[in-house]
Amino acid sequence: MMASLPRRIIKETQRLTHEPVPGISAIPDEQNARYFHVDVMGPSESPFEGGTFKLELFLPEDYPMAPPKVRFMTKIYHPNIDKLGRICLDILKDKWSPALQIRTVLLSIQALLSAPNPDDPLANDVAEQWKVNESHAIETAKAWTRLYAMKS
Amino acid sequence: MPTMQVFVRFNSHHSFPVDVDSSWSVLQLKEVLAARQQVPPAEIRIIFAGRELRDSFIIGECDLASHSIVHVVRGRPQLSVEAQVSSSSSQEPQSLTRVDLNPQEDGASASNTSHGAAHRHPHFFVYCKQQCKDVQPGKLRVSCATCKQGTLTLNRGPGSWDDVLLPGRIQGRCQSQGCQGTVAEFYFKCAAHPTQEEDTAAALYMIKSNTQDVPCMVCEEVSTPLILFECEDAHTSCLDCFHTYCTTRLNDRQFVQDATLGYTLPCPAECEDSLIKEVHHFRVLGDEQYERYQRFGTEECVLQMGGVLCPGRGCGAGLLPEGETRRVECVRQGAQGCGLVFCKDCLEPFHQGECRPQMEQLFGAENRIAVDPESALRSRWERESEETVRQTTKPCPNCKAPVEKNGGCMHMTCPRAQCRYEWCWLCETAWNRDCQGDHWFG
Repeated sequence: MMASLPRRIIKETQRLTHEPVPGISAIPDEQNARYFHVDVMGPSESPFEGGTFKLELFLPEDYPMAPPKVRFMTKIYHPNIDKLGRICLDILKDKWSPALQIRTVLLSIQALLSAPNPDDPLANDVAEQWKVNESHAIETAKAWTRLYAMKS
Repeated sequence: MPTMQVFVRFNSHHSFPVDVDSSWSVLQLKEVLAARQQVPPAEIRIIFAGRELRDSFIIGECDLASHSIVHVVRGRPQLSVEAQVSSSSSQEPQSLTRVDLNPQEDGASASNTSHGAAHRHPHFFVYCKQQCKDVQPGKLRVSCATCKQGTLTLNRGPGSWDDVLLPGRIQGRCQSQGCQGTVAEFYFKCAAHPTQEEDTAAALYMIKSNTQDVPCMVCEEVSTPLILFECEDAHTSCLDCFHTYCTTRLNDRQFVQDATLGYTLPCPAECEDSLIKEVHHFRVLGDEQYERYQRFGTEECVLQMGGVLCPGRGCGAGLLPEGETRRVECVRQGAQGCGLVFCKDCLEPFHQGECRPQMEQLFGAENRIAVDPESALRSRWERESEETVRQTTKPCPNCKAPVEKNGGCMHMTCPRAQCRYEWCWLCETAWNRDCQGDHWFG
């Protein structure tokens, strides 16, 4: 199974395992080495602090010419992430380049948690809240983090 | 003793094959040639790849590949030329085959790198389209810009790619009788096999031997040769990944039509000012894909110039309509043109009055072209394919090109490099915040 994997994916996987990015873990699925179980810690001083967010990341056949497919599995209150966990991030679409990696994608997602961008929203209602009443939106985000992203 | 065959061209006329022994001196070769031509050996001069071969040289050390063409001219060896050659470098005069045109990282000048480790790696690569249909090590040759013969001796060897690629930078003296040429004209050949004189090959100056064991930016494999992009970060990729990169971008019509450089691509990391300047590098796509590349490039160029592509089936001729009229005729000229008369705005057969709404037009039931019996036979299939297009594509609201959505969200970007209009698959209007918030993913 591993032998048929492109060397680039093998190397990226090794690096993710041996030199993990602080606050991020990405573990390949036992059955499918192109599918990763990802945990992203909510960045400190963000409404997501203290939460652990599960994501799934899949490397399509034409990776790295095509971007990985990433989705939040944990419910999250964020203007750039919709209720199905889909992420509005340029490098996952037309700004993708084969020079980017799983690592850079996950770092960008972590950065998106630190700096929500309500002017380029995916979840319109959330974005509206974020613009009209930011403190209330942050409270909601914190509440969702406690509710869905923390082990009781 | 290893023998080989070289072709000897005498006074720029006929050339004949001569079996030579690589242990011979140049003088021994001269004796053989002199006997054949019935002239004294002291009155012939042998010129190969921009330099005169001195009597004392050993053939095996002159970088003569099998079937090389050496030029023989009448006349006594010129001391002045000898003096220039010998003073320009060490005992062994520089051979064009050993010139390294790539700047060295340690700052050593290019002419000093003909010895040592760098010598084992090919210094330049070409695309051999005659035989190999592949990237191959190349050999550099020179001829006289005036008489086009290989009888020019160089005043100095080239030291950079500019010396070789830009005309008129290197001077020399043509040794052909009656030719006063002084300007060198460089060209490349494939070094993988014996070549005919006319078998020149395009120099791929971005392709280099991987002397630093740099991993490919895409697959992380270390392989040689590699392609070095002209961006500030000096990114590199292996040729396999470069091939995949080009094919992927070509399939999506994601090349860039640059007014100066033509149809090209940047470094895969999208670095600034990294567009590939020598489009022969896209030869690595292979003949079939390169042809497609050329066709797409021509089409984008026509569109950029304000022209249209004939919508006639299987036609696609590039047309540059003049004046304000919407009526465009794809004039038949020999094998080109299909005769279709169409409207410049909606690309439908020409009509009076306003164009009909786009969806209706694109897939209207009326005949698109004046039917000839042959196309009528194919019409069933054509209707089916039209149906496929109707089901899987929508016209870009800006340029009307049918765009396929093969997954992803509703935020569409027109794949035509000249358009790039951002629109919503559902609303068929410009992408806006409502689309983003309300139905980004449908």
